[in-house]
Amino acid sequence: MFLALKEIARAKTRFGLLVAAIGLLVFLILFQQSLQNGLITGFVGAIRNQNAPVLVYSVDGQRVIQGSIIPPDLEAELQTVDGIGEVGRIGQGTFTGLPSRSSETFDTTIIGYELGPDGQGLGAPIELAGGRYPTQDLEVVASTGGDFEFAVGDTIVLQPGGFTVDVVGIADDIQLNVAPTLFASYDTWSNAVQSVNPDAGEPLPNVIAVAPADGVSDVEVVGAINARSLDFDALTRADAASETPGVAQVQQSFQLIFLLYGLVVPCVTGLFFLIVTFQKANALTLLRAIGAPAGRLVWSLLIQVVLMIGGGLILGTALYYPLSQSRLGGISLRFETGAVIFWSVLLLVLGVASSLVAARRVLRIDPIEATTGAGVGV
Amino acid sequence: MNALELSDVRKIYTMGDGSDVVALDHASLTVADDEIVALVGPSGSGKTTLCSIAGGILSPTEGRIVVAGEDISDYGDKQLTAFRQQSIGFVFQSVNLVPFLNAKENLTVVDELGKRTGKVAQQRADQLLEELGLADRKKNLPSQLSGGQRQRVAIGRALMNDPKLVLFDEPTSALDTELGEQVMELIRMEMKRRGTSAIVVTHDERITQFCDRSVHIIDGHLAA
Amino acid sequence: MKLALKELRRRPGRFATATVIITLIAILLMFLGSLLDGLIRSSTGAIRAQDADAIVYSSTAQASFPRSRIDVDVRAQVEGLPGVEETGGIGLVQLGARVPGNGPRDLANVALFGYQLAPNGVPEPPPAGQAYADDVLEADGVEVGMTILLGPARTPVEVIGFVSDTSFNGQGGLWTSEETWRATLIENRPDAQLADGVWQALVVRGDDDVASQIDAATSGATDSYTVTEAVNAIPGVEEQQGTFSQIIGVTIAVALVVIGLFFALLTVERLSLYGVLKALGAKSMTIFGGLMVQAVVVTLIASAVAAVLVVLLDLLIPPGSIPIFVSAGSILSSTALLLLAAAVGCSFSLRRVLKVDPASAIGTTS
Repeated sequence: MFLALKEIARAKTRFGLLVAAIGLLVFLILFQQSLQNGLITGFVGAIRNQNAPVLVYSVDGQRVIQGSIIPPDLEAELQTVDGIGEVGRIGQGTFTGLPSRSSETFDTTIIGYELGPDGQGLGAPIELAGGRYPTQDLEVVASTGGDFEFAVGDTIVLQPGGFTVDVVGIADDIQLNVAPTLFASYDTWSNAVQSVNPDAGEPLPNVIAVAPADGVSDVEVVGAINARSLDFDALTRADAASETPGVAQVQQSFQLIFLLYGLVVPCVTGLFFLIVTFQKANALTLLRAIGAPAGRLVWSLLIQVVLMIGGGLILGTALYYPLSQSRLGGISLRFETGAVIFWSVLLLVLGVASSLVAARRVLRIDPIEATTGAGVGV
Repeated sequence: MNALELSDVRKIYTMGDGSDVVALDHASLTVADDEIVALVGPSGSGKTTLCSIAGGILSPTEGRIVVAGEDISDYGDKQLTAFRQQSIGFVFQSVNLVPFLNAKENLTVVDELGKRTGKVAQQRADQLLEELGLADRKKNLPSQLSGGQRQRVAIGRALMNDPKLVLFDEPTSALDTELGEQVMELIRMEMKRRGTSAIVVTHDERITQFCDRSVHIIDGHLAA
Repeated sequence: MKLALKELRRRPGRFATATVIITLIAILLMFLGSLLDGLIRSSTGAIRAQDADAIVYSSTAQASFPRSRIDVDVRAQVEGLPGVEETGGIGLVQLGARVPGNGPRDLANVALFGYQLAPNGVPEPPPAGQAYADDVLEADGVEVGMTILLGPARTPVEVIGFVSDTSFNGQGGLWTSEETWRATLIENRPDAQLADGVWQALVVRGDDDVASQIDAATSGATDSYTVTEAVNAIPGVEEQQGTFSQIIGVTIAVALVVIGLFFALLTVERLSLYGVLKALGAKSMTIFGGLMVQAVVVTLIASAVAAVLVVLLDLLIPPGSIPIFVSAGSILSSTALLLLAAAVGCSFSLRRVLKVDPASAIGTTS
């Protein structure tokens, strides 16, 4: 311990640079972890955080809500499937919206669901962050985060056509496709579609929200619906979110980045300590000659590794914390405690493992070389 | 013309705490053409410093250095580098051959670093190795050579540029007595045959018998 | 230089680790570059193929076909502009297609376009009920002469030929007449149907700078783009490019760090050798040049191996699964970036080489 700390104290710049490098990498890793989660929540938060346990798409929709269309005959057939409890229509469309407090228009997604008596029919946001659920047409719950920060009392005018809705509630993490998202009554959505395209016919529901009957599980209902017709594509809420095209790709891209980082951190620490070991070969040989056990020298090396990576982790997390409270483009970031713990453990293990190469060199030092001066061989 | 003339050379190192250490104090030494001089002294006596200054590796703090008529006292780093390339041969203590080059390439590397005469250098390397009795070891890597053979390759390397002066830094320290004597024999023979002068740095009195004369150095002062 | 190359040849083991790591990085880089090219290609083909000087959407559409609507009056205003020679309506509907022989839930994604002015590489609009299909749909089993069924209404369309590089949004293009497009829209997407004469967007041919004049002529009812602008305006294209550029940037930085550290280690290991070489008259720049040559050769070898592997990968990946598009351009640009990283990474060792003192060769033992 003494040796390890003394050496760090004497070579502050060099060890400081390593801590800075590791800290930067940790920061990037954690930041991208938040970015990934924020991005995915922004993409499919509206699916994850609505209350219907099962969503039924048409196979044609390829698991995209807007691409799915449920014709009347299919809707009728769904009602006859065993195990079905409550059902409700859901429609979704993307519009150009002009909020009352803004001079700029935004891509705005409207999700229409059947309100029910209290505004919490199937498809409603699970939880509100403020205000109340809509109880009549033209009232909406708006997403927080995103390009525009909605507040209760705002109105939004859809372009063209001038269709206007009022924000009566707001909810976190209910965006779809990283666009500001409004949850409204089914008829509000339907009228909104017709307002921007006077040629439109009566819109058909995009998906049907289903709650299983008492005593039937979500998975059983999904199985029963899919078994009924090849045109149904029923998914549980979680599957509907993760199977949305693009979500898996986003996750894969980020996993690739994380894999890279996972390779780089041990590479950097391993090579760094190898260089340091070479540079102080003579000193190490001398220490061995005056009776320092090899184990003690390796121990000292490992203490340094743990201290450096530990320092990097603290620095990285400290950099990450303020950023994790902010918002990036349309994506809200969060501090991910789980990610911090996971990466701390993983990087410590990888760093220590990679420095074993340097440790092996230390163990190979022959104290006799202090007399001949050969030091650590190449 | 003398191979080396050192007049009143001083070398002062400034230590970390600002104090000065005089490594070489008013040293004057003349090495005649064709002469082999043993520079004997204990460690820390300044013999390495003197050797480095004579070979154009270090610049003196004051004094004049003339090697084969060329005054190098005021040379900068670049000029010294070129001067070493052309006029000096070195044989280092632990031989220091390039580990991944074979015997012949360890000789031609001198040409690579310098003027690049190509074919001429190849022929010269062949000839030197022949003369040093290494004709059948040309393709061997240093790790495949014995200690004496490696020392001979190092001597060959020092002679590649047809130097005015060859500096031997403890050439026998890594060898046993018998091998050491053989190597010194060889050095003397090769130097005399070419008429090249040499300084042999050593702390071993026994090898002075292979030199024309000995100069002792203690605490930076020369004494014949 | 010769010394550096000889070391590479005689001691390949010493460079193996670095070469393997850089090869992996190069593969990653080339794969990412090809994937980006492929993704961009498959989401923009239909727009890039347009033989047009302007593409006109309605002003509130944010360059999205389904949200755009150009009615007869607006079209007349555009056609009245002196710089305009020809206009053609264009409309899109994105649907799942049932291909004969495929499983009942195994749908091909198609982007069906109705068009009036033929894009580059696409013939004049075919008769009603027929379509030219993008050749990416071959991977879904589509063949010439086959009738595929579109959308929940199973609208039949017969494929009468293939065209290339006309995908949109990752979906294979299907090029049909106005009549087929409108019929498909009414049957499958009643919410998106348009009255006769109303199109989603216009393709305009005329003066080169006509795109900049149209919006004024329609009093702001339209949003006009050149083909290049329209490509970049496709939702998601810039985001995709941004994300990939970031990943590629990180990868390059990683390569730089790895190469930098590796050559720093190599330099530290060889300090005594450098001392000897300097005493023998080697210039610092000769030694550093050798390091640079080694870094460049290692990177070139790694890039060459990676290029071969990526090309093989491209051949092995079943068409239609991952949209990678391997081109000499992306391989060369990846190689160039890596070489740059190698040169910069290697330069970190320059200071160390400069600091080597030839005097260290004398009076020391190793």
